[in-house]
Parts: sequence; structure tokens; C-alpha cells
Amino acid sequence: MRWLALIWKSLMRSKRRTLLIVGSLVLSVFTVAVLQSLLTTLNAVTNNPNSSNRLVVRHKSGLTQMLPRSYEAYLRQQPEVATVCALQWFGGYYQDPRNFFANFASDETTIFQIFREEFGTSGISEAQIKDYQRDGAGCIVGESLAKKNGWKVGDVVPLTGTIFPINPRLTIRLIYKSPKPSDENVLHFHYKVLEEGVPRMKGLSGSFWLRTRRPEDIPRLIERVDRHYANSAYETLTETENAFNLAFVKMLGNIGAIIQGITAAVVVAILIVTGNTMATAIRERTTEIAVFRAMGFSAGRVLTLLLAEGVLLVGVGGFLGVLLANLAAGGVRASLGSAMPFFADFAILPNTVLACMVGALAIGVLATFIPAYSATRRPITEGLKAVG
Amino acid sequence: MSSDRFDLGGGEPIITLRDIAKSYWREELEIPVLQGIDLEIPTGAYIALMGPSGSGKTTLLNLIAGIDRPTGGSLEVCEHELNDLDDDQLAAWRNAHVGFIFQNYNLVPVLNAFENVELPLLVSGAGRSERRDRVEQALTLVNLTDKMRNYPRQLSGGQEQRVAIARAIVTNPDLLVADEPTGALDAKNAEEVLGLIERLNTELGKTIVMVTHDPKAAHHAKHQIHLEKGVLDRTVEVNR
Repeated sequence: MRWLALIWKSLMRSKRRTLLIVGSLVLSVFTVAVLQSLLTTLNAVTNNPNSSNRLVVRHKSGLTQMLPRSYEAYLRQQPEVATVCALQWFGGYYQDPRNFFANFASDETTIFQIFREEFGTSGISEAQIKDYQRDGAGCIVGESLAKKNGWKVGDVVPLTGTIFPINPRLTIRLIYKSPKPSDENVLHFHYKVLEEGVPRMKGLSGSFWLRTRRPEDIPRLIERVDRHYANSAYETLTETENAFNLAFVKMLGNIGAIIQGITAAVVVAILIVTGNTMATAIRERTTEIAVFRAMGFSAGRVLTLLLAEGVLLVGVGGFLGVLLANLAAGGVRASLGSAMPFFADFAILPNTVLACMVGALAIGVLATFIPAYSATRRPITEGLKAVG
Repeated sequence: MSSDRFDLGGGEPIITLRDIAKSYWREELEIPVLQGIDLEIPTGAYIALMGPSGSGKTTLLNLIAGIDRPTGGSLEVCEHELNDLDDDQLAAWRNAHVGFIFQNYNLVPVLNAFENVELPLLVSGAGRSERRDRVEQALTLVNLTDKMRNYPRQLSGGQEQRVAIARAIVTNPDLLVADEPTGALDAKNAEEVLGLIERLNTELGKTIVMVTHDPKAAHHAKHQIHLEKGVLDRTVEVNR
């Protein structure tokens, strides 16, 4: 018999109790891992490293209000601006309203400069870009989106508009591969399709995306643009891309505080449950512990054995919880990744796994130490007299 | 008187108690359990400690076995002055020198007979093959080699106590202490267990100190020591 076998057998003396506590640990670690990963994913949306020199100019009153496309000329004239792209959320779907993904009408020329990191420069040839720019009914799609729908270059994608009363039939001219899966669940088509199909959109756009020459130009540029259009019929709100995305995340409420609150509640609950279970399990073995010590096991060795039981218990529960969370993350990516692109990046990251496992092991040690310590400090003669 | 020296014959003492006292405290109240115990037990002795409930016989056994400490006096057991040992040293000393036999066997229910007997060897530093050999020898001695994979719930009371005896002797201790070893057994199994303990004394030369209420059990010992209200009352040499 090895030490690990002794620990395992001791742990399995009440299989039902052990399974129940492992089950509650799995559920708790799963919940914490998924919630923390959700927070990480949302934080990544608002901390996109590619967006350090990108700005969004939109109507001060909100996204449903349009700006004149004539603003583009002014924006382009600013010395800090490298390029400008008109971009409008189209909100169409393919075949079934449930088959929803991000699709935009955008400037077919500057879009590649604005989002050059997302489109990935390798693998896209100038010829492909030209193909798209030449075909007014052309579109570009990310590889994940194309794979999901079985699309290839040359296929026609009929989009059904939900915001705008047009149903454009678009021909795929380019499929791009992006470093991040979330950036591959997007479709862009020519802005002209929208302007020509929807008369009220003629000369208007929901937003302009700018790329500045240097990140440090951004504060000065924001201030100048908004001041220039202050008190006009179309006042602007200029902000960084991260701030723009943050506004969407904030629509979910103070999600960070909610998630941290739930995490804290789960940790406290599982600490109490594990502590109570270990206390009961150790109390039932008072006589056995005294016998071990009478046979020559030092108090320290018995304490180590009991702590090892607690750590093994939560270790197994934590591992299974993380494993389950990983499986669930795959499901989330597959089912929600298209409709909400940031979910395409949803994953249980190594840091989260590490935090969950360290947290679980800390709970094991904390929950076991107090009852184990007091059991090993009890006089052997008292332990031998104890019933049970 | 308690200060009388009791002659148990034999050679070199394995247990020497000098003016041993033990008291328990209930809040401010001191409750003396043993007072002025002087006793020498020679190597190879088989002693039955007897006396009415509360006379201090189990307390005396616990002191001899090193699982309790006296409040006064000194005890030298197996050439070690127990008062000089700290808790960890005392644990190592017990592992090397003392085998325990309890009334309720106290086997670990989730371990089979082999693993129960192996337990004291886990802390003795014995290697795996040595452990296996010694466990098999101990189980052979108690005639339970055919039950070594059985769990305690699959054994009768007598068999459980024999496993407990195998566990007590597996480290080859000099001293065996038994607290009412037949208290939970029927007459037939009790006789069998007592015969086994007697063999450990006569054939292997183990020194045995046994607490018992049962005169029949005590009759297996070579000497009976009677305690009365925490002091040694008398010794009786058993004639068989």
C-alpha cells in the first residue's frame, strides 16, 4: 500500500458523501471558471490592442442617428488622420433570422486599411482585394463564418435586411483569415449597396472609423473634431474604439461587479460546504486518528494525511469543473460566436484555469486544516474513548 | 502501601515506574487517578492489570504505552525515559517498541486485513518488499493468511482481533499492551485470542501488559497486579 492509496481509500469511505461534495465542487468551479472567462472575454472587447490608434465618430445623440458623409472630407484633412472609413451596421440575416451574424456596409477601399490587423495581411492578395472593390455586389467574409455556412469564393449570399428594407444578393469575393476567431464572424459589403438601395441613407452614415498616424494624436483629434461640429445639426461624439465598445458592454449593466459578486458568493458557499463535510468526516474518525497516533504516526503526519485528503478531494472537483467549463466554452463558441462575435473568442484561459485550481486547493486546505488540526491535537487517550 | 516494591521475579526490567502519579483536572478540581506507583516489570513478563472501574488500570496501561504522560514520577520503558521524549519522538518510540491490542479491534474499515497490518510499517521506514514479508509473517502467526484480502466487515469478531494482534506484532515490538482484548468476544473466540496472546509471550518472548476485568482472561497471565483507588494493591502469581 502506498500513501496515495491510503489517502484515496480514506476519502472513499463514504462514497455518496464524497461524490456529493465533488459534485458541488465541480459545479462551483465550473460556475466560477465560466463567469471569470466571460469577464475576461468582455474585457478583451474593450481592450483590443489593435485599436490603439482607431477612433469612431458618430452622432452625439446615439447610433440610430446618422452623420453626413460630407464629414469624411473634413476628417480626412486632419493631419493626424491616416484614413477614414464610413461604416454602417446592416443587421441582416442569412436564410433564417436565427442565423444572425455581424454584417456591415462599409467603404470598400479604406476598410482594408482601417481593419488591416483583423483582416490579416498574409493570405490576401492585391488581386483578391481588387476583385472585391471592382464588384459592387461583392462582399468579404471571415473564414469561420464561411466555414459555418459552407461558403466559398464566388458563392452568392442573399442577406435579408432587418433595419433597412433591402435584401442584397452579394457575391463572395474574398475570404479572410484573422488572428482572432471573433473577427472572422463578420461580413462587409460596398457602402453603395446601402446608399442606392435605401434612399434615406443617401449621403449618410452611422459612423466613421478613423485610423490616426500615432496613438498620442488621439486626445487632440477627438477634442478638435467634436468642437468643430458642436452646435451643428449633426453634432459628433468621437471616441476611441475601446470606449465605443465599452458602451455596448455597459448596456449589460455593471457586469464586472455582478460576476465578482456571484464568484465571491460561490467561493464562500463552497468553503462552508467543504469545511462542514471535512469536519464531519474527521469527527467520525476520532478513534481511528487516535489509533494511528498510538501506532506511531506523529500528529504532523496525521495532519498531513488529512490535509492531503482535503486537497485531493477539491483537486479532483476542481479539475473536473475546469474540464466541464472547457467543454461548455466550446459549445458557447459554436452556438453564440456568430451572433455575438466576441463569444467566438470565449475560452477558459490558462490564467483562469490556474486561478480556479489554486482557489480550489486553497479551499481544500482551509476547509480541512481547522478540523484536522484540532483532531490531531486531541489527546490519544481521549480519542480512543470516543465513540465512532 | 503504594510505595511497596512489587517483586515479579525475572531478569532485567523492561518497565520501571518510579513514584508515578497521574491526575486529571476538571476546571479547578484536581482528580487524582494514580499515586506513588513504583513498579518494575521484567522482560518477558505477562501481566494482567486488574481492579474495579476507576482504579486507574487503563491509565497505568496508557502511561506504560506512552500514549499519556504522568503528572509526577518517571517511567523508563524499553530503555527509554519517556518523560525526556517530545511528542514526535514518543510517536517514533511507540512505533518501534509497543504493539497495541484494543477491545474493539479498531481496524480501519476501508483497508483490508493485509493493509491494516501494514499500517504501522508505513511509518517505520520499511521498504515495500520488507513490508510485504513482515505482514505475511504476522498474518501467518495469527493463522489468517487466507483472509488477508478480506475487509474488516467480512471477518468475524475473533478474526478481527487476530488481525489487530498481527498489526500489533508486525513491527516486532518488545512490549504488547492490551486493553480488555476479549471484552467484545464470545467465550470461544476469547479463549482463542488469549491463547494466541499467551503464545506471543511464551514463544516469542514478548512482554505483555493486559488490562482485564475477566478473571479467566487474567488467569492466562503469569502475574496479576491489582489496583485499588489509584494505588498498587497486591500482586498474585498465577499458578497453572
